[in-house]
Amino acid sequence: MRRRSCASLRNLREAKVMAYTGRIGDRVSRKPKFSERFLAVVKYELLWNIRKKKFLGVLIAAFAFSTLSLILPIILSYIFETPLEANPNFVIGRGGISSGFTLFLFALVSVMNSISGEFESGTVIPLMTKPVSRSIIFFGKVFAAFLTISAAYVLLYVYIAIGGTLIYGPQNNLHLIPICILGDLLSTFVWVSIVLALGSLSKNTILTAISAVIVFISISISAPIVSVFSEGAWILNYVPGNGMSGYVKGIGQGMLPGSSVSTGTDSIAGNLVRYILNPSENVTYFKVEVGAGIKELYSEPLFMVLARSIFVALAYIAALTFIAWYAFKKAQVLD
Amino acid sequence: MDLAIETFDLIKRYGSIVAVNKLNLQVKSNTIHGFLGPNGAGKTTTIKILVGLLKPDGGKVVVLGEEVRGDNPDIRLKIGYMPELPRFPKHLRGYELLDIYGKMYGMPAQERKTRIQRVLEIAGLKGRERDLIGEYSKGMQQRLGIAQALLSEPELIILDEPSLGLDPAGMVEVRGIIKEIAKEGVTVFLSSHLLYEVEQVCSHITVIHRGVCLASGRLEDVIAKIAGPAVLEVELAEESEAVFEALKNLPFVSKIQCENKTLIIEFESNVDVRPQISQAITKAGGIIVYMNMRKRGLEEAFMRLITKS
Repeated sequence: MRRRSCASLRNLREAKVMAYTGRIGDRVSRKPKFSERFLAVVKYELLWNIRKKKFLGVLIAAFAFSTLSLILPIILSYIFETPLEANPNFVIGRGGISSGFTLFLFALVSVMNSISGEFESGTVIPLMTKPVSRSIIFFGKVFAAFLTISAAYVLLYVYIAIGGTLIYGPQNNLHLIPICILGDLLSTFVWVSIVLALGSLSKNTILTAISAVIVFISISISAPIVSVFSEGAWILNYVPGNGMSGYVKGIGQGMLPGSSVSTGTDSIAGNLVRYILNPSENVTYFKVEVGAGIKELYSEPLFMVLARSIFVALAYIAALTFIAWYAFKKAQVLD
Repeated sequence: MDLAIETFDLIKRYGSIVAVNKLNLQVKSNTIHGFLGPNGAGKTTTIKILVGLLKPDGGKVVVLGEEVRGDNPDIRLKIGYMPELPRFPKHLRGYELLDIYGKMYGMPAQERKTRIQRVLEIAGLKGRERDLIGEYSKGMQQRLGIAQALLSEPELIILDEPSLGLDPAGMVEVRGIIKEIAKEGVTVFLSSHLLYEVEQVCSHITVIHRGVCLASGRLEDVIAKIAGPAVLEVELAEESEAVFEALKNLPFVSKIQCENKTLIIEFESNVDVRPQISQAITKAGGIIVYMNMRKRGLEEAFMRLITKS
């Protein structure tokens, strides 16, 4: 019995080592094309992204919030026994994905461990020793994040468009949805580049996530306060997030004599739609003075607001992505 | 002879610690070269420099005729590398990972398919390739490490502790695989703590300690040089002065001791000269009752080297 098992083990071993002999052909001598290497990295990252529980969780939450925004008016009309009115601007009037927080969350869960996670788990070692340059690895990962987030946004917009049409009747300007997606992607990629830079520099996922959340919360809390109570709020136009608060004259919202507008990088989608529909609009900035009410500061064309926010977003994306890329390229793999 | 790996005064520092200190390593092509040293000797650091994971602080590295400088992925086309305790993305399946790596090497779809099946078979992962890597045991990840190192049929395979985490049968399999791939003309550079494994498979070795090369060359030569050559123990039927004199005059005998009827013969080298000894004894009228060649082992040589340094 023992002899037989030894013999079978030997046969198995022989079968295995024999398998190496008898080559398929010549050794790999063909230099792979740039596109082959790049797409291989994109696939590597894409498969990872779509299986991340965090990403799926945020996607489900985004769908849940979208569902809530769709059905809340139905519930309210049922409670208050008022008829549900048709709203042909429901989809486009939202001005992009629900909030800057959603954009931030998508960015965070997509790339928070793209770089740092590889270093922490040691998976970067087999990856970096393949015939793929570090630049291809880095930009392949960024492109995979772009594809993943784009797909998520397309799904969300399609869902909102179908839901909005079914609940509020035929919708106007649905052709602007691709513009909204583009605007939201640009906004999201400001956060993506921040998270990537933090990840590349720290090579620690928890540190990356905590720092990114701190940056987001600090900006989100300070921006409205600075914007409403300070005359020097223009600085917020150059900081990621909501930016300054202003309004365009028209039907008032609360204490404002018009509808409110945010000028930051998170509001690109909404401002794009607003500009396409009303290109001559002006944004007026104000300051709240205790006891004196609202004091108008100055106005500027909506085009200026939009162009500046796009420029600022692109500048952040370029600068922070460069920092992240450089840190990744120069990283030494110690453990 | 061509050199697959050559380093010139290689230096790597971690702060004030010198991990690799002016290392001059030469690995001949088509050999199995063992890379030995105690923990912290600088083996993994050297290997990481060879594959471009670390940047040296000084010196030069040439792999397969090309200087390793900066991020040069084309050199890595010809190298298969298995890191110490390799880790792979848990979200991918074994097959998916190998397929992606195959694409990075520019392998066409059909070749990838055939080659992946082959390396899975070699590494003993057949049947588990569709499972998520997160469900693999340490040993299976080790096997996946071997599979991905062999995937591109490289000219040079660098294995850092390939048997770590494998069961005894797995270790035997790995040794078999290493021997077979070397027969194909592949250079294998093997770092291992298992001296027995190195002795079994390697033709050449380099021993380093504290980043410094202590010995390098053919396995037998290094052992002979460090631990001394083999010793032959011969028991005769009767004590004989004539036999003693005859053996003393043989050119390859360096020392001879006589204890009653037993002769302890030491040689200049590790070459097997038992037939010549037997012939000389018989010619001198002696009768051999017992003969035992006691070869010095790698373990003995290794310990002497490390203790001495």
